[in-house]
Amino acid sequence: MTIEIFIGVLKIFSFIVPVLVSVALLVYLERKVLGAVQLRKGPNVVGPFGILQSFADVIKLITKENLLPSSSNKFLFIFAPMLTLILSLIAWAVIPVSSTYVIANINIGILYLFAVSSFGVYGVIIAGWASNSKYPFLGALRSAAQMISYEVSIGFVIITVLICVGSLNLIDIVESQKNLWFAIPLLPMFVVFIISALAETNRLPFDLPEDEATLVAGFFTEYSSISFGLFFLAEYANMILMSSLTVILFLGGWYPPLDIFPLNVIPGIFWFVLKVFLILFVFLWVRATFPRYRYDQLMRLGWKIFLPLTLVWVVITSSFLFYFGLLPS
Amino acid sequence: MFLLGTFYFFASFLIVTCISVIFSKNPVNSVLFLVLAFLNSTFLFILIGAEFVGIILAIVYIGAVAILFLFVVMMLDIQITSLMFNIKRYVPLALLFAGVILAEIIYLTVFKSSKSNISEIVKSSNNTEEIGNVLYTKYFIDFQLSGIVLLLAMIGAIVLTHVYRPSIKRQNIDKQNTTYSKDRIKLVETKSGEGINYNE
Repeated sequence: MTIEIFIGVLKIFSFIVPVLVSVALLVYLERKVLGAVQLRKGPNVVGPFGILQSFADVIKLITKENLLPSSSNKFLFIFAPMLTLILSLIAWAVIPVSSTYVIANINIGILYLFAVSSFGVYGVIIAGWASNSKYPFLGALRSAAQMISYEVSIGFVIITVLICVGSLNLIDIVESQKNLWFAIPLLPMFVVFIISALAETNRLPFDLPEDEATLVAGFFTEYSSISFGLFFLAEYANMILMSSLTVILFLGGWYPPLDIFPLNVIPGIFWFVLKVFLILFVFLWVRATFPRYRYDQLMRLGWKIFLPLTLVWVVITSSFLFYFGLLPS
Repeated sequence: MFLLGTFYFFASFLIVTCISVIFSKNPVNSVLFLVLAFLNSTFLFILIGAEFVGIILAIVYIGAVAILFLFVVMMLDIQITSLMFNIKRYVPLALLFAGVILAEIIYLTVFKSSKSNISEIVKSSNNTEEIGNVLYTKYFIDFQLSGIVLLLAMIGAIVLTHVYRPSIKRQNIDKQNTTYSKDRIKLVETKSGEGINYNE
């Protein structure tokens, strides 16, 4: 019993530590990519090529004073960043990085992920309310409306994939893509999913909850030191999570692009991480390229374009599969 | 033993959170306790092996309904709502509802328990499939009816709240996208010393 618990804890750490390290790398990568796009150098002072910059930032954040606004709701104010980070980490319990390497292989893995990602809005909304201040509150309201709107289209995209797979198990979803990644037959859904993932993680061009031009820093305006750091960590951990969800749903998880000799001897985990970072690069590329949306445009895109499109695509996919007898039994 | 202990832990926690929902002075805390109550009932569903129902409960109630509650309650002014805290007015109605629900539970546990085949469904490895098999066949009419009820509720809410005000200027994006500069800008030759006639 004790040995099992020990192995379980080790397994959990083998997921959480790489995620947190890749958060640090992602922050560094983001600054480097933005630097390259804007013809700058980016961080290049701390460590070789500036690779230790994020760790220096973390040390700086931890050693600063943690301020509590006097009019805030103290418990919820401290609780909100913790909740956000916990939610972005517990989702990794079901993510399969290879056909055998997963903490919990549950029947309803995709629903679990959907549930956990929909809880993410609580951290933001509680932080905004508990700060008892104008800008965080507005940021929280924006975030709640935005995340609920885009969850609807994410739900329909997931349903489209599930119709093609016939199982809610994440490993089954990846294994049914062995010959053909879903990104090819379901290309419009793939695009909708990536755009919705940007909105769900509050990334540019949909980062209106933390829009510095109108809301100072949005829902974490009042946060300082490590409680700000937790929000920051959670945002990037969520980005990695949504990227790995994209990889699992559309890019064939741990499978190589072609099942030929030099590619299929490379371990699956390498392909998984490579694909995740490819999607993350798209996130950063989008940030460097597109201007921020206006809020009504964001809502219009979510409700008037994505919702009908995904709804129609669910019907088209299921009709196609039914007509040609391809429905999974 | 372990399972039973977990059940009692979540069940007692559920009761505590439900009581806290009612007795919290601050409505935002009430909603957060409600979220905890939903989460506990999710765990209870998962404990009896009904993981699909449990996780759907979490997605629908925690992920959508409670967020909308929180959204509305957050906008209330807290000083006013703490004055509205007169619980006695609602006691008769609450007792009526509690009585109906208690009668239902007693009816189900005492008279129906032997006939129900819940344990068979739970024992099968994949209860998502089991639900799918009966939802669109045996309970087709009930399923469609509940869908229509929800649709009616949604349309009713829209009809009640949506007021079309012609005075408000709205952005017509399709019209904007199909407009070219030549529709809006006109190059006018003006002779020096003369103005232009705007209405032309």
